Amino acid sequence: MYRLALNMLFGDRAKLAMLLCGLAFSALLMAQQTSVFFGIMSWTYTPVHNIRAPIWVSDPMVEQANDAKPMRDTDLYRVRSVDGVAWAAPLHTSFLQARMQDGNFKLITMVGIDADTFAGAPAVLSQGRIEDLRLPNTVIVDEWGAQLMGRVTKGPDGKDVVIPLKVGDTFEVNDLEARIVGICKVRRAFTGGPFVYTTYDRTKQYTLGARRTLSFMLVEPQAGVDPVKLCARIEADTGLKAWTSDTVIWSWSDTSLARNTFWWFWKNTGIPFSFGTAVALGLFVGIAVSGQTFYSFVLENLKYFAAIKAMGAGMGVIARMLLVQAFTAGLLGFGLGVGMAQAIGRAMIEKGMPPFVMFPQIFWATLALVLGISLVSAIIGIIKVSRVDAATVFRG
Amino acid sequence: MSTPVAHTVAVRTRGIDMFFGDGETKVTALKQADFEANRGELIMLVGPSGCGKTTLLSVIAGTLTPQTGTVEVFGQRLDGLSQEELTSFRRKHLGFVFQSFNLIPTLTVLENVMVPLLIQGASQDVAVAKARAMLEKVGLKGREDGRPNALSGGQQQRVAIARALVHEPSLLICDEPTSALDKDTGAQIMQMVRDLSRSPERCVVVVTHDHRIFRFADRIAEMEDGRIRRVVADASLLDTNHL
Repeated sequence: MYRLALNMLFGDRAKLAMLLCGLAFSALLMAQQTSVFFGIMSWTYTPVHNIRAPIWVSDPMVEQANDAKPMRDTDLYRVRSVDGVAWAAPLHTSFLQARMQDGNFKLITMVGIDADTFAGAPAVLSQGRIEDLRLPNTVIVDEWGAQLMGRVTKGPDGKDVVIPLKVGDTFEVNDLEARIVGICKVRRAFTGGPFVYTTYDRTKQYTLGARRTLSFMLVEPQAGVDPVKLCARIEADTGLKAWTSDTVIWSWSDTSLARNTFWWFWKNTGIPFSFGTAVALGLFVGIAVSGQTFYSFVLENLKYFAAIKAMGAGMGVIARMLLVQAFTAGLLGFGLGVGMAQAIGRAMIEKGMPPFVMFPQIFWATLALVLGISLVSAIIGIIKVSRVDAATVFRG
Repeated sequence: MSTPVAHTVAVRTRGIDMFFGDGETKVTALKQADFEANRGELIMLVGPSGCGKTTLLSVIAGTLTPQTGTVEVFGQRLDGLSQEELTSFRRKHLGFVFQSFNLIPTLTVLENVMVPLLIQGASQDVAVAKARAMLEKVGLKGREDGRPNALSGGQQQRVAIARALVHEPSLLICDEPTSALDKDTGAQIMQMVRDLSRSPERCVVVVTHDHRIFRFADRIAEMEDGRIRRVVADASLLDTNHL
C-alpha cells in the first residue's frame, strides 16, 4: 500500500509542487537564517579563534573576548609565578582609527603580541614574515583589512577598482607610521574592523602611551597540567580571571572564553531575537503552507480514502499511508530547502558576507522541524480521514 | 431470466431498524427491513429516492450498523461485530462497485485494481499478476498503465468491476453501477456482472434506479418507506413510474 500511497502523492504533480514549495521554503528559511545567525555569532569569539593559546587571563570583570579591561604589566609576573604555568605572554587589543594615505579613516582592531615569543601571532601569512614585526613601526594586516583599507582607483572601464594593501605600504595610527610587513589570513571579527598585528611594546606608542595596555595574558600550561585546573589555580592565586580557549560553544564548560562570549552576545544583544523571529516565521509558514496543502490533498482524496476504508483497509493502514506521503514530501522539501540554503551559503562565503556556518546540529534540527511539520500535516489528514464514514461511498 | 446455479441463502436481514439523528430531527431509514439474497443470484434493490436502498446496502456491506435486527452474510452474523471485525470481513468477503467508480485518478488502471489485494496484504508481484489477469477478463488488456481518466465511462466501470472482483469476494455490492453509462454500455456492464454472479460462492446485490437493466436481475426487491415491499422475478410486474 505504501507504494500506492507514494504514487497517489506523485500523481498529482501540481499539488506536490505546492507542498514541496512550502516545505522547501520553510527548510530554507530555518536552515539559512540559523546558519547566518551562527556565522555571525561565531565572529563574536574571533579573537579566541585567531589568537591561539591554551589559556587566556583577564581582569576579573571581563565577561567576553571583545571586552578588554587593561591590567597592570606586573600582573604578568604574578601569573608567570603560578605553579603549572610554562609561560605567559602579554596581549593587547584595542579599537583604533587608521588614517589611510588618501586621508580616509578606518576602524581597526590593533593586536599587540609579545615580540620575543610571538605568542598569539597569526598562524598563516600570505605575504611577508612574522619576524619582520620586530622592525620599527611595522604591522601585519589581515587579508580583509588589506582589501578594506586598499586604495580605490578607476579601472579601464571607469568602474572603481580596489588595489589591496601589500607589503611595503603604509598608513598612520595616531599620527604614527605603520608599515606593512605581512598580510595574514585570519577569521573576521564581529566588530567589523580588520586585525592589525604589531608588537606589544609598540602598542604603547600607537595608543599614545596609555597607562595600561595589558588586555589579556596568554598562558601555556606545563606538560601534563590540566588547563581547567590551572585556570582555577591562576584565579585563586592572582584574583584574575582565567579562561580556556576551546571554541566548542555547545560545551558545558564555564571556563571557555569563546562559549562565554557567544552566550554574552546571545543575552545582551537583539541578534538571537531577530534571527529567532525569522526561524519561527519559517516554521509557522511551513506549518501553514504545508499543513494547508496536505489537508487540501487529503480533502481531494477523501472519497478515495473512504472507498479504501469500505474495501476493508483499517485506519492503521490509512494512517501509515498518510504518514508515508507526508514524510516523503517532508524529506524532499527538506532536501530542496537545505540544498538551496547551502547554495546561498556558498555564494555568501565567496563574497565574505554575511558569514554562514551550518553546524551538523542545524542540519539535523531543520530535518526534525520539517518532519515535525510533516507529522502535523499528516495528523490533520488522519483525523479528517478517521472521521469519514465508509458508508459515504454509497452516497454518490 | 436465466436460472441461478444455487438457492441457498447468501444474505439475510431480519427486522432491521435504522434511524439517524434523534428527537425532532430523527429520520427513520429502515423499518423492520427483511431481505434475502441467494448464492449465485443477482438481485436488485429498487425503489424511489429516499426509500432506504442505499442504507440497506450499507447495512449489508457492514459499513453501517443497524439499531435493531440481524444481518447475516454467507453464514456470518455481522450485527454484534466490532468495527475492526467488520473491516476485516469486508476486506475478505466483499467487493464494491460504486456509482461514481471511485477510481483513484493518480494511480494507473493496474494499480487501482491492485488496491483490494494490497489491502489484504498480498505481495506486489501477486497483486500485479492477479490484477493483470482480472483486467484481461474484463476486456481491458493493454490499458493497464493508463490513467482511469483516459478511459471511457464504460471502461472505467469495467476497471471498477475488476477491482471489485480481483480478490474473489463472495458478495459483490453494486451501487448504481450504470448511472453514469449510456444504454449500450450499461447493458454490457450488467451482462458482465451477471455472468460473474453465476457461482455458488457468490452473490451480487445491485442498487439501481435504472429500469433499463432490470432484465439482468434474477429477482428484484422493491423498497418503499424503509421496507421491502415485494420481491419479484419479473421486472414487468413492477410499476417503473414509481422508481
